[in-house]
Amino acid sequence: MDGWIIVLFFVIPLFGAFVMPVTYLFSSDSPKFITPVITFVLLILSLYSFVYQPEQIAYIIGGWKPVGDVPIAIYLVYDGLSGFMLVIINLIAFFSSVYAINYMEEYTGQKYFYVLMCLMIAGMNGVVLAGDLFNLFVFTEIAAKSSYALVAFGVKKDELEASFKYQVLGGMANLIILFGIAMIYWQTQTLNMADISYMLQNVENNIFPVFIQLILITGFGVKAALIPFHAWLPDAHSSAPSPISAMLSGVLIKTLGVYVIMRLFFNVFPVNESVSIVLIALGGLSMIIGVLLAVGAWDLKRMLAYSSISHVGYIIAGLGIGMIMLARGENQFVATLAFTGSLFHLANHAVFKGLLFLNAGAIEYAANTRDMKQMGGLAKFMPITLTSSFSASMSISGLPPFSGFFSKLIIILAAVIAGFYLIAGLAVVAGIITLAYFVKFQKYAFYNKPSVSSSIKEVPNLMRMSMISLAILCLLMSVLILPEIREVFLNPAVNTLMETTDYADKILGR
Amino acid sequence: MMAISLIIMVPIVTGIILLIIPERVRYIKSFASLFVSVLSAFWAWQIFSAEPLTYVFIIPDFPLLGEELSLALQSLGLYLHFRVDALSQLTIIFTGLFAPLVSLYAIGSTGKEGRFSNFESYFLITLGLAFATLMTNNLLLFIFLWGALALTIYKLIPSKDSSSSAAAKKTLIMIGASDGIMIAGIAILYSLTGSFNISEISVETNSAITYFAFFALIAGSFTKAGAFPFHSWVPDFTKEAPSVSSAYLPAALDKLLGIYFLVRICHDLFIMTDIVRLIIIVAGIISIIIAVMMALIQHDYKKVLGFHAISQVGYMVLGIGLGNVVGLAAGLFHMINNAVFKSGLFFISGNIKKMTGKAKLDQLGGLWTKMPVTFLCGMVFALSISGIPPFNGYVSKSMIYQGIIDFGSSGTGMANNLWMLWLGLAVLGSALTLVNFIKLVGSAFFGKVPGNLIKTRETKPIMWLPSAILAIICLFTGVFAKSWVMPNIIFSATGTFETYSIWYTTFATVVLGIFIYLVLATGGIRKIVMIIRAKEKFYFGNIFSAKVLYNTLRNASVLSKVFEMANNGMFDIYHILRKSVFFINKRLSLMHDGILQTYLSWVIAGLIILLIFL
Repeated sequence: MDGWIIVLFFVIPLFGAFVMPVTYLFSSDSPKFITPVITFVLLILSLYSFVYQPEQIAYIIGGWKPVGDVPIAIYLVYDGLSGFMLVIINLIAFFSSVYAINYMEEYTGQKYFYVLMCLMIAGMNGVVLAGDLFNLFVFTEIAAKSSYALVAFGVKKDELEASFKYQVLGGMANLIILFGIAMIYWQTQTLNMADISYMLQNVENNIFPVFIQLILITGFGVKAALIPFHAWLPDAHSSAPSPISAMLSGVLIKTLGVYVIMRLFFNVFPVNESVSIVLIALGGLSMIIGVLLAVGAWDLKRMLAYSSISHVGYIIAGLGIGMIMLARGENQFVATLAFTGSLFHLANHAVFKGLLFLNAGAIEYAANTRDMKQMGGLAKFMPITLTSSFSASMSISGLPPFSGFFSKLIIILAAVIAGFYLIAGLAVVAGIITLAYFVKFQKYAFYNKPSVSSSIKEVPNLMRMSMISLAILCLLMSVLILPEIREVFLNPAVNTLMETTDYADKILGR
Repeated sequence: MMAISLIIMVPIVTGIILLIIPERVRYIKSFASLFVSVLSAFWAWQIFSAEPLTYVFIIPDFPLLGEELSLALQSLGLYLHFRVDALSQLTIIFTGLFAPLVSLYAIGSTGKEGRFSNFESYFLITLGLAFATLMTNNLLLFIFLWGALALTIYKLIPSKDSSSSAAAKKTLIMIGASDGIMIAGIAILYSLTGSFNISEISVETNSAITYFAFFALIAGSFTKAGAFPFHSWVPDFTKEAPSVSSAYLPAALDKLLGIYFLVRICHDLFIMTDIVRLIIIVAGIISIIIAVMMALIQHDYKKVLGFHAISQVGYMVLGIGLGNVVGLAAGLFHMINNAVFKSGLFFISGNIKKMTGKAKLDQLGGLWTKMPVTFLCGMVFALSISGIPPFNGYVSKSMIYQGIIDFGSSGTGMANNLWMLWLGLAVLGSALTLVNFIKLVGSAFFGKVPGNLIKTRETKPIMWLPSAILAIICLFTGVFAKSWVMPNIIFSATGTFETYSIWYTTFATVVLGIFIYLVLATGGIRKIVMIIRAKEKFYFGNIFSAKVLYNTLRNASVLSKVFEMANNGMFDIYHILRKSVFFINKRLSLMHDGILQTYLSWVIAGLIILLIFL
């Protein structure tokens, strides 16, 4: 694979975003067909590069060679982890954009919607490819700013309020992140991540990297919606139009939050025990409080949003367990297990939470309500929504044969073997409560009342197609547990986390 | 051995194919399911009569998928370890026995009490999964199958209205939760032994962590079998689900699976210590007593049967918890017998519900002339479940009593010393069971026929045939217990021993049972005294009226409070946990007041706490 292909991942959606207002002048329908094409191309591209490019490559924009030992150009780095994230992002983006064609018909100003969506995709793709903190920050902001606007897209009172809260808390997070980056720059005089990694290895004062890491955990914790930095999420994710909610909960919090934490804490900062304990604690806290908040919600999308908090908790706790094993230099097998579980869960959560938001959107589209108390008896009218939401619900609750069972199993297994019985217990309890409220969702939405004849119809074809495809993925992704398949799909990303210093070594060639 | 792969794969694959076939041609579905169940009964017989063996599932090449994917699928073989020992054989043959009976019944039963759309698919998938569960040697595969069974049982209650969907929800949550808890237990076992193979694991319960692992797995087994404190989904299920589902799952298959796993836990995976044994015995005894008490006050006969399903599990848990050979054999034998008569009772209840359309006991009466076959079978099952000779329930119950007596004389632990208590309570439970079934049979089949039931007829032969077969089995296994059943079926799984019968337990059961019934049916002891002194008239025709029974119980001052609490779900672990989760949820939700400043301060506070931590 040539290095320039990497650039396409954000050039294509950026280009699309700026072309669409022009094509709109000629055909008002054009944006809604251009966007799926763009996301489809990106999906193919990401799959292609993921399968054919298991090695890490760095692309230097403009070809500026390092001066002495100092890399001065903009680096784009593609490795196992980035590739993994790109596949997930573009997968969900593709299905959301196809779904949006029918779903967004009721809204006005559709062209802005697609422009913003493309910008958000460009931002997320950029974040996972950026090789320096400056660009990382810029791409984070591109994605975040467009998501602010998309949350408010309905321009009703609730949407605007949610977006406002999201912006204020997001702005606060930016401030904290920027402060952290400034501190890094002050200490290392560089923003290139590989270079920082070298510099920090030589820093003797151990407290300094930990201090910055805590600052960054706070900043990116807001983006990833860890407890207690989560407060914006339930409002924002439930107010956005459903395809966007699917993107926000499915991939945005993972790209801007979890991915950045993974990249910085494993590949840039030296692996550190106290930081990993913080991660485990925050993960465990989010896991349990997230479900406890979700279980009482009657607004379907709000319930899904709260549950995202808990699932990010699973991912972060898994990462923390792996990290502590790495830091102590203990059982490497457990570290691999924990990372596999975390990344597997990340992929699974993107798929099933994306699907669940699309289901919620379908119910809202057909029955015009988000309140579970007002639904009921939909099973007869919406068989496809029923089946797909059932597989997503069972997957998220961790029941076999759906994929969520396996990732939950691996995380609990890793926690127990590593000796974190409390985390394992919390994961089990959170899993049970998750099951409880998703069965509640099934009951109240689809059964409960005897189905009376009504005007409710199943949603249009393109929406169905997205939901069916994702539902099949919920089942199909179970095969990732097989060793041979894990080798191809999960291990490159896991290795990036395991070989912490490889990242810098390969880029700078030292 | 071919039969092992076939008995798992054929039902599951057929079930999935039947999902695609439209409902219009439901007879094709019914007969396909009958055919497959007869086949699997045949394979079960083959497995039963073969020698115990271990078996690794070999996945064939799939040339269509390409070499790499094919190899990947074959790596699945790592987990597909099967081991068939005498215990598996015993449970498999009875799982195989019930399949044709249930599908036969399902062909005949239509309407609200019978099959519903896609019943056959879920029935067959459950069957295949159950066979696999009973044979697997790998704990990961086991937990996978266990969870998948939770999904099929959820699908076997059609959610029509508010109460049936609530029952479905409760069932799935409880069984799914037990699956989650078991994951933790299995993870601990793996971290202790480094193996997922049941045959390689044997852990002594001596530390906090092994206790936890033990009870985590016990939770799974108890939930499936329906023993205290994880029993509460059973009555709701049996009340709301069609009889054909109840006869299949909570009555037969779930008992076989749950008790099979309990034996595996207590005798293969762990070495029990005294305290553990005590806890298991107490759980068994509590299951026996509270379920049978709850059954006394139910009006809905399907719910009565649900509570009895719990109470009978108590005997099995008790027997297996004793840890001696007699107890184990008695537990397993009672598991089989209970599956036989409890399925039969659910078939009967389905027949009654279908022909009368009534769900409450007090709406029935005098059906014995109208439905003679159903009545005869019902009598046999009722006598069996109450432990009256010569039926099978009598044999297995008296074996349990024998186990308790042996247990008392064999050790000096606390559980051993209390053997009199266990024996007394077990006999009391049996007597109360008798009370319940006098009430059930009496109010349904005897007494006066209500006016609107005059025209009731016997069901079609296809619907009474399964219960007739089961009734014959009840009689056969009872009469030939010692000469044929025990040596040929049970002893290979447990080891041989001498049985002796204990006359006074049976005698006590009958006398106590009839006495309690009379007290309740006439309206209390004081009333009896009044009747004897001829100060009050007693209408003998009322003796089988369920109404008087409820009133007497409700008016008893101590009991009424307890019953009220029970009805409010105070003893239901599901209800308690649900309440507490929502309590925490309320507090947490109040914190989310929607004020931006609060949220901002959380972020700052979080940052500060992190920095203090540094």
